[in-house]
Amino acid sequence: MNMLVKAALSAALLVGTSYGALAVERGGTLKYGRYADSLFLDPVLNDANVDIWVLSNLYDTLILPTDDGKGLKPGLATDWKVSDDGLTVTLTLRDGIKFSDGSPITPADVQWSLKRAADPKKGIWGFLVGSIQDVSTEGDHTVIIKLKNTDPAILAALTVFNTAILPMKAFEASEGTTDEEKAKSFSAHPISSGPFVLQSWDHGQSMKLTRNENYWAKGEDGKPLPYLDGIDFEVIPDDATRILKLQSGEIDGAEFIPYARVDELKHADGIDMKLYPSTRVQYITMNVRPKIGDKDNPLSNEKVRQAMNYATNKEAIIQVVTHGVGSQMTSFMSSATPLHKGDKPLYPYDLDKAKQLMKDAGFENGFQTSLLVLAGNQDEIGIATALQQMWGQIGIKLDLQQVDNPSRTQQYRDGTFTMREAAWTDDIADPNEIASYFVYSPTIGALHSGWKSDEADKLFEASQKEIDAAKRADQYAKMQDIYNSSGPIVPLYETPYPVALSKKVQGFVQIPLGNNIFGAAWLQK
Amino acid sequence: MPLLGFIFRRVLQTIPTIAFILVVTFILVRLLPGDPASAMLGDRAIDADVQRINAKLGLDQPIPMQFLYFTKAVFTGDLGNSIGLKLPVIELIAHRLPVTLMLTGMAALIALLMAVPLSFVAALNRGGAPDTIIRGTFQIGLSMPVFYVGLVLLTVFAAKLRWFPVGGYGENFLDDLYHLFLPAMTLALSLSAVLMRNLRAAIIGVVGADYVDFARAKGLRARVIMTRHVLRNALISTVTLFGLSIGTLLGGAVITETVFAIPGAGRLMIEAIYGRDYPVIQGLTIALALLVSFTFLLTDIVQAWLDPRVAR
Repeated sequence: MNMLVKAALSAALLVGTSYGALAVERGGTLKYGRYADSLFLDPVLNDANVDIWVLSNLYDTLILPTDDGKGLKPGLATDWKVSDDGLTVTLTLRDGIKFSDGSPITPADVQWSLKRAADPKKGIWGFLVGSIQDVSTEGDHTVIIKLKNTDPAILAALTVFNTAILPMKAFEASEGTTDEEKAKSFSAHPISSGPFVLQSWDHGQSMKLTRNENYWAKGEDGKPLPYLDGIDFEVIPDDATRILKLQSGEIDGAEFIPYARVDELKHADGIDMKLYPSTRVQYITMNVRPKIGDKDNPLSNEKVRQAMNYATNKEAIIQVVTHGVGSQMTSFMSSATPLHKGDKPLYPYDLDKAKQLMKDAGFENGFQTSLLVLAGNQDEIGIATALQQMWGQIGIKLDLQQVDNPSRTQQYRDGTFTMREAAWTDDIADPNEIASYFVYSPTIGALHSGWKSDEADKLFEASQKEIDAAKRADQYAKMQDIYNSSGPIVPLYETPYPVALSKKVQGFVQIPLGNNIFGAAWLQK
Repeated sequence: MPLLGFIFRRVLQTIPTIAFILVVTFILVRLLPGDPASAMLGDRAIDADVQRINAKLGLDQPIPMQFLYFTKAVFTGDLGNSIGLKLPVIELIAHRLPVTLMLTGMAALIALLMAVPLSFVAALNRGGAPDTIIRGTFQIGLSMPVFYVGLVLLTVFAAKLRWFPVGGYGENFLDDLYHLFLPAMTLALSLSAVLMRNLRAAIIGVVGADYVDFARAKGLRARVIMTRHVLRNALISTVTLFGLSIGTLLGGAVITETVFAIPGAGRLMIEAIYGRDYPVIQGLTIALALLVSFTFLLTDIVQAWLDPRVAR
């Protein structure tokens, strides 16, 4: 074959595929390999990412997040208005919306669902809608939310899984006396408001969803979404097996691809290696209390923390641990988080500066300290051994203590840990969640670190009620400056979500908050 | 009837064993750092939620009280609900344990089918080429870790040759057997290596015994000598070893079930320990302890049947 024919052929192929990408095809079941199974699919009572990240396929919210995770688009509500005083949100429900059993989605369902979400005694997510005082209805299409105080994040909160709409009557009629018992029996045979319905669930093995025939959204071809007939989630905990199953064509997608395999899969036949932008940040949390137990704690010294930050060669860690997939952090919150501020990597590697800071802090000869590492986790072990070597250069002798997750959580919550590795992803398209955990001391004592800044606490409290967008952005800018310069963490890197798909899969997206959105996914035949 | 009396005595001995395992497990899981609510809610948990959930689970009570409630429930056949999955533990075990049983059963069968004939061939050709080849091959199988053997088998026979599915579990009984073949093979390789070494040595010992020479001198056919005199006597120690290996096999199943994505009891146990799901850990421990005790009992009975002196 000569060059010209080859070029013509590949051009034809290119045109062919780009045309193919335009014409949506319906039908088929997408098989998706997950690293772990869901636990409890109730929007309000769940407490793990394995639940959160699939819930949006079953239950719709009033407002939906855009694919970049930052904006808002209409969901079950077509329109929303916040009053001038910022204390009332009026939402208009979409015409003709139905649950999967064909019954109408009414303002009463919405009222009941939102009140359940805001109840602090139910589940752990109530704080996201903690500003809701009351919810009332008006006519067939209007829902009015009254707020205790102005809340700049209320609209973003109405896109979060816990404010999803469930059928009040069917839920309340479910077997059981308490809300949790009812949720248990309801979730065994749930009625959906989202694009899919739970068909069967074999715990620990597979979960099958089928299309909700009554779903409101329309596809590109003008017919109702979803395009797929269904989704089969298969639980395949071992990374290597999940990838082998994708390569053999037994599944169409696999989540949580280890960083070490990303480059190989980018070049593999028939596989589309996706790196979806995420809000995930990886960092070290330091205990900054003056004493841990009865021992003096050098980490309480701000200069020591800065020195350790400068002595950390983040680029090297990114190469070693994430194989170049990650990028340096420019603030404690990810660059995909709204109101993120920062364009330069924090604490560029500078050994001389680190040594000087150690000297200034009175620790010229270093000290001994320790780091909790999640046993068996290759990423954490990789980071820990790199830090051991890097911090050794400024005289810090780092003991690595491998523990399992519950043991680590215990030390963390008790405030008896010295340092630990950690990762974070946002659940809401607003910086208030990460700031309340990282910065605002009343929540969990700034990551249980014992760190506290009165100024940052005040800024956070003000920002929670500030409805002037520019002023709020300014408050967040200041909060980030304070935390990034004196906070209790060593920022390491942010990483995208690595998902490997078969080339047949189109229209699937994992948004920065982690939600897997199958509503507009389709399979090329 | 010495055998029946023997069985009765052995069953009675099982009861204190199980009770002891139960008490130890119950206390040990509670002595582990971390509690179910923290494990479930993760790093973001706030104190109020952790206390609320632990109180709801009755974990704010003293351990002796908790044990009392637990024993009472166990005697009424109630193992409680899983904290993470919110399902009855009995239901979970009934769902997941048969999978593991099938996997280990299949592995044991494959291991026996490989070990018995091959050890005869090896023993009767002692020092010869077949002996060296068989022993060498099994030595490799024995020295490779289970997860690695599993991945190699998956890559070659499932991903490359497409003879078998890449992990997962079937839709019906035959499909289950098909899905379980590679993982069972993975487990069988190391077990059969252990059995083979033992059985080969035993056969060599028995073949040289006086009563075998006597049988030969009587003019018995070789096949009769082999089955009635050699195999029966050589098997005694191998049966013990095989019974003891069932525990190891169940341990190996934990890793195999993860590599091959099989929803068995081993994986359930690992997940329960990471989640500090006390009721599931306790329930599974009881089930597995019963299972292992039962296997030991069977081993003893078979041994008593092979060698009546044992029952006396």
